[in-house]
Amino acid sequence: MATLSSSSASLLFSASSSNLFPLSHSSTSSRLSFSSSLHSSSASLFSASSPTFLAYPSSSSRLSSISASAAEKKKVLIVNTNSGGHAVIGFYFAKELLGSGHSVTILTVGEESSDKMKKPPFNRFSEIVSAGGSTVWGNPADVGSIVGGEVFDVVLDNNGKDLETVRPVIDWAKSSGAKQFLFISSAGIYKTTDEPPHVEGDTVKADAGHVAVEKYLEESFSNWASFRPQYMIGSGNNKDCEEWFFDRIVRDRPVPIPGSGLQLTNITHVRDLSSMLTLAVEKPEAARNSIFNCVSNRAVTLDGMAKLCAKAAGRPVNIVHYDPKAVGVDAKKAFPFRNMHFYAEPRAAQTKLGWSSTTYLPEDLKERFEEYVKIGRDKKTIQFELDDKILEALKVPVPV
Amino acid sequence: MARFVAVTPSQQNNQLSFSPLASSLSDFSGTKLHCSHIHFKRKQWQTKSASFYVSASSNKKILIMGGTRFIGVFLSRLLVKEGHQVTLFTRGKAPVTQQLPGESDSDYADFSSKILHLKGDRQDFEFVKSSLSAQGFDVVYDINGREAVEVEPILDALPNMEQFIYCSSAGVYLKSDLLPHAEVDAVDPKSRHKGKLETESLLQSRGVNWTSIRPVYIYGPLNYNPVEEWFFHRLKAGRPIPIPSSGLQITQLGHVKDLARAFVQVLGNDKASKAIFNISGEKYVTFDGLARACAKAGGFPEPELIHYNPKDYDFGKKKAFPFRDQHFFASTEKSKSVLGFENEFDLVEGLTDSYNLDFGRGTYRKEADFSTDDIILGKTLVSV
Repeated sequence: MATLSSSSASLLFSASSSNLFPLSHSSTSSRLSFSSSLHSSSASLFSASSPTFLAYPSSSSRLSSISASAAEKKKVLIVNTNSGGHAVIGFYFAKELLGSGHSVTILTVGEESSDKMKKPPFNRFSEIVSAGGSTVWGNPADVGSIVGGEVFDVVLDNNGKDLETVRPVIDWAKSSGAKQFLFISSAGIYKTTDEPPHVEGDTVKADAGHVAVEKYLEESFSNWASFRPQYMIGSGNNKDCEEWFFDRIVRDRPVPIPGSGLQLTNITHVRDLSSMLTLAVEKPEAARNSIFNCVSNRAVTLDGMAKLCAKAAGRPVNIVHYDPKAVGVDAKKAFPFRNMHFYAEPRAAQTKLGWSSTTYLPEDLKERFEEYVKIGRDKKTIQFELDDKILEALKVPVPV
Repeated sequence: MARFVAVTPSQQNNQLSFSPLASSLSDFSGTKLHCSHIHFKRKQWQTKSASFYVSASSNKKILIMGGTRFIGVFLSRLLVKEGHQVTLFTRGKAPVTQQLPGESDSDYADFSSKILHLKGDRQDFEFVKSSLSAQGFDVVYDINGREAVEVEPILDALPNMEQFIYCSSAGVYLKSDLLPHAEVDAVDPKSRHKGKLETESLLQSRGVNWTSIRPVYIYGPLNYNPVEEWFFHRLKAGRPIPIPSSGLQITQLGHVKDLARAFVQVLGNDKASKAIFNISGEKYVTFDGLARACAKAGGFPEPELIHYNPKDYDFGKKKAFPFRDQHFFASTEKSKSVLGFENEFDLVEGLTDSYNLDFGRGTYRKEADFSTDDIILGKTLVSV
């Protein structure tokens, strides 16, 4: 098994010690009190207790920020990608760190004047600045000169997918005296398994770029942590996620889902990723030399996601299953999620950091749909070429 | 009228410093065959479990409702080994004790000399109440209860009970698109297992110190539910394995010995007071994956899997596949963080244990019945 042996060992050792951390126990007992309201409900998951659910986690993150203000303030550098699904992570993380009293610089790849900066979350960077953060742009390979010789306690690379891109940042962080290096990796590096979920320590694809970065970190940095996310939702997202479903649902179009629709995936609100990263910054010893699946604690089926989006939109949904090969489409182009089980659990973060997930899709998707309508996307004219090809092949009628 | 069995005084055993893992290994020694790949992690678990076990501080007088069929067979041995006085309440239809495959003669002799039997029908509520009240048990494990009415006389009989430990079921969870099921999740008052839910509610309302354990699918030697046996029959016969729909449905198996250890772990444990715990395997498994794991366990070649659309068939009353045709699995994070529970067996190891001690020795509970397979194989395959 080609695992990072020291990380799996550290998971085992840390797991035994972190069971004694009061935080993990209290998060469990908080869930216990939540359970009594759900237990009496014979209705679906959308019980009246969900507002309680949302209130609890924000107070717990407030608790961790209160403890942070009593503890050390950190200088954090975020090297952030300028596009794609991970872009929004740096945005939330920066704001949460600033809210907790830490100092933040966010270095975005490329140029401030580029067209990419007109898209979210970059077009909201004023929020980082007004919260006291610094925003700079450039090539991560030149990070040292871009930050003008400034020294940071913590460096997060939320950009590179291979060693060539991340190594200069790691090397600079080490030589400039940064104490902790965090890396946004990907849960996509796990090898497919008969036994889900992917847990930290499971075999990864040896040739994956992120794996090479994790190995290099393990060899060269004294306190590192790697975070493996899946799909994200949240305001400011640079890449479509739930929008793909909303686009079809509001236009009363069928929702074509490849395969059985039973494939499980993990769709997490980006605030959960941010809170996990923040905990790692505030508990560097607990996070030391660890891998963390950066996902919520519930998976959802592809069919389930379509249904939840429809429920959030208050409209019916017509799910249509198809075999991409039989129809002659590339599933990667036709559908935004992997056509297979893609399911990791955040066990290390729960055990080692005492982290709890707050994502609750039935509520979170309502907020997402409100924004979707607010920006007028429901009225936008969209072409559905691949959908039409699929539906044509299946002889499914489409409303004009 | 049932007879009372004379209660034999138990051996004085005040030394209860042990780890559940060590005791399970020694109890089931010879019955657990080592796999060629002993994981580094297992040694870590031994140390961990020893430091996390909250040992019962004294010998308890324990009653197990049931105990002669599957879970109780293993649980009773662990409890007796720890020095408790254990009584099994059964109708006596099955022998009170039977030697386990791989169990040494001396271990079996020791166990059978200490285990006690209370013969009766638990549906005879008056008898349950009077016999239990006459004996006065400290702790009751209800392993075979299905309905709340069956538990009432037990609670009535033993007002000073220290703990009532109930074998519930993850089957109570309301079907959901969000998984895994966690103890906080919505339950289904209309489920086939609603009797378990009603029992849990009864326990909550009565103020007794209760603990409820919700297993998923249980497997292991002596399993009377044809879970692994269903696959083993087909693998042995060299038959293809018919799996409904995509085979991607995810389920979860928990080894009976790990479940028994969990039942011991909650005994006298404050952290388990008035709490519910899902107990099952560390990882989940797809239907296709389970077929492959069973093949590995029995040393069979990689099996041929045939997928079919169950809607195309009418099997009448027969079950064509031993699992619910849906995702069904539960998180055990709570048991891990609150109790320090750890599985000893991973899936292939556990299935190997089951195979080597049961099916592989030529024993099984149900004869092979390939009639539904033949119906499926006889029809043209429909791709899903």
